[in-house]
Amino acid sequence: MKKTFSLEHKAFLKKQKMHTLFVHLSQVGVLALLLALWELLAHFEIIDSFITSSPSKIAKTLVELVGDGTLLYHAWVSTLETLAGFAIGTALGYAIAVVLWWNGFLKQVFEPYLIVLNSLPKIALGPLIIIWAGTGKMAIITMAVLISVVITTISMLNGFCETSAEKILLLRSLKASRRQIFAKVVAPSNVPTLMATLKINVGMAWIGSIMGEYLVSKEGLGYLLVYGSQVFRLDLVMTCTIVLCVLAGVMYAVVALLEKIVAKNYT
Amino acid sequence: MTVLQFENVSKIFYTKTQQTTALQNLSFCVNKGEFVALVGPSGCGKTTILSLVCQLIQPTSGKVTLASPNGAVGYMLQKDGLFEWRTIEKNIRLGLEIQHKLTKENLDFASSLLRKYGLEEFKRHYPQQLSGGMRQRTALIRTLATNPELLLLDEPFSALDFQTRLEVCDDVYSIIKRENKTALLVTHDISEAISMADRIVVLTKRPARVLLQHETHLQKYKTPLERRESPTFAKQFELLHRVLEEAKS
Ligand SMILES: Nc1ncnc2c1ncn2[C@@H]1O[C@H](COP(=O)(O)OP(=O)(O)O)[C@@H](O)[C@H]1O
Ligand SMILES: [Mg+2]
Repeated sequence: MKKTFSLEHKAFLKKQKMHTLFVHLSQVGVLALLLALWELLAHFEIIDSFITSSPSKIAKTLVELVGDGTLLYHAWVSTLETLAGFAIGTALGYAIAVVLWWNGFLKQVFEPYLIVLNSLPKIALGPLIIIWAGTGKMAIITMAVLISVVITTISMLNGFCETSAEKILLLRSLKASRRQIFAKVVAPSNVPTLMATLKINVGMAWIGSIMGEYLVSKEGLGYLLVYGSQVFRLDLVMTCTIVLCVLAGVMYAVVALLEKIVAKNYT
Repeated sequence: MTVLQFENVSKIFYTKTQQTTALQNLSFCVNKGEFVALVGPSGCGKTTILSLVCQLIQPTSGKVTLASPNGAVGYMLQKDGLFEWRTIEKNIRLGLEIQHKLTKENLDFASSLLRKYGLEEFKRHYPQQLSGGMRQRTALIRTLATNPELLLLDEPFSALDFQTRLEVCDDVYSIIKRENKTALLVTHDISEAISMADRIVVLTKRPARVLLQHETHLQKYKTPLERRESPTFAKQFELLHRVLEEAKS
């Protein structure tokens, strides 16, 4: 569709655009300023770069680690674990929510358990997970799944139960089965809920996998972080943290993009 | 021929704190080709009556008889209830999908309705791209697509502003007449009832019973707007208004 704008409208749009640009520039500026301050303070030994590291050291470490492939390897390991935990946790949580929506009795019975499980700090289950799932990848993925599955179940179930009563009534008047009601109304009207849950689960899955690696791992970014802190290589710790930020950010951006594409007609 | 019959129907709702008698010994019928309006104060049990017709609930006592009982009812609700994630065309096929009737013949019938009522060019649009009146028309056509014996309309215009309401009312009425449908309209708006119905069943306040049956004799006028301008409209309105006021007190 082609639109013509009035001059005033154009001026307004331009002003908006300038404002957005200014916000973005400020965001970059804040980061640059902090990095510069950090570097200067470390350089003039006002802060102890042994325990704070410094941007230049981090950059050097980053180049080294990328060069010998260490970083890519560990980042890859963590990413795979996270993706596995994310996928399994979301799918499992969704499936449980469907079962509980389907059977009102089960929902009533299990709701209090869900609430307790949701408040439980999952890290407390670490020792149990090690005993049950061993000290390998299984344990890490289990941790990531545990952290995301409960919250997925709770938010999806909430969404399912809040589906427009009027739309359900309409289907019932057409003599729809429960399966049809789910497939035609409940599932589609909760696509936005699912997208919101996916966004939350990006964070949850990363927490799970890194925590899992703290507990058991011999590889992955979580392992590298623990190792770095044990040998007091703060530049390594900082580098890993930054890489983690970038990975989580990218994954979130992918989900947000998916949301934009998928959920546009589901308002 | 009688399409729908209520015989001494009572319905009591039980909740934790109280029991509500929504209908008590209610009897009325709807004949084939007739346009009947049920008028009664808010909360008197009108929606309950329609739920009984759809067999969404069962009567506590009495009997509800539908001439052709399996899925032959089309229910149009207060809000249009269109599915935002479906195109207009897919919205209209909803009933056929649910009832496993996606035959070529039925799909052609649905497309012919789209064409006939000016929605062809919007068939790939989504509901939020349509105006309130167009959405209501889509909702009606969705109801018609399964070719129901009886149409149920539950205050279908009350979510619209006054100006749109008159237009949509004309629109819905003319479509129902062109498709030769039997219709049961539920409303608390007397003027709406007179402007559309052949026969008006006035209900008491809760528990609903039949207070009065009134023939409008306005069939010679083509549209609800013309009916509103007919010489007897005001008198009929006055009569029903008085009866309803008495019913409320
Ligand atoms: N499922 C239900 N459970 C309990 N009470 C109900 C239920 N449905 C309707 N009622 C009660 O029955 C009465 C009639 O309701 P309704 O048929 O919706 O009235 P109307 O459509 O005429 O405004 C109201 O008092 C309402 O509170
Ligand atoms: Mg009602």
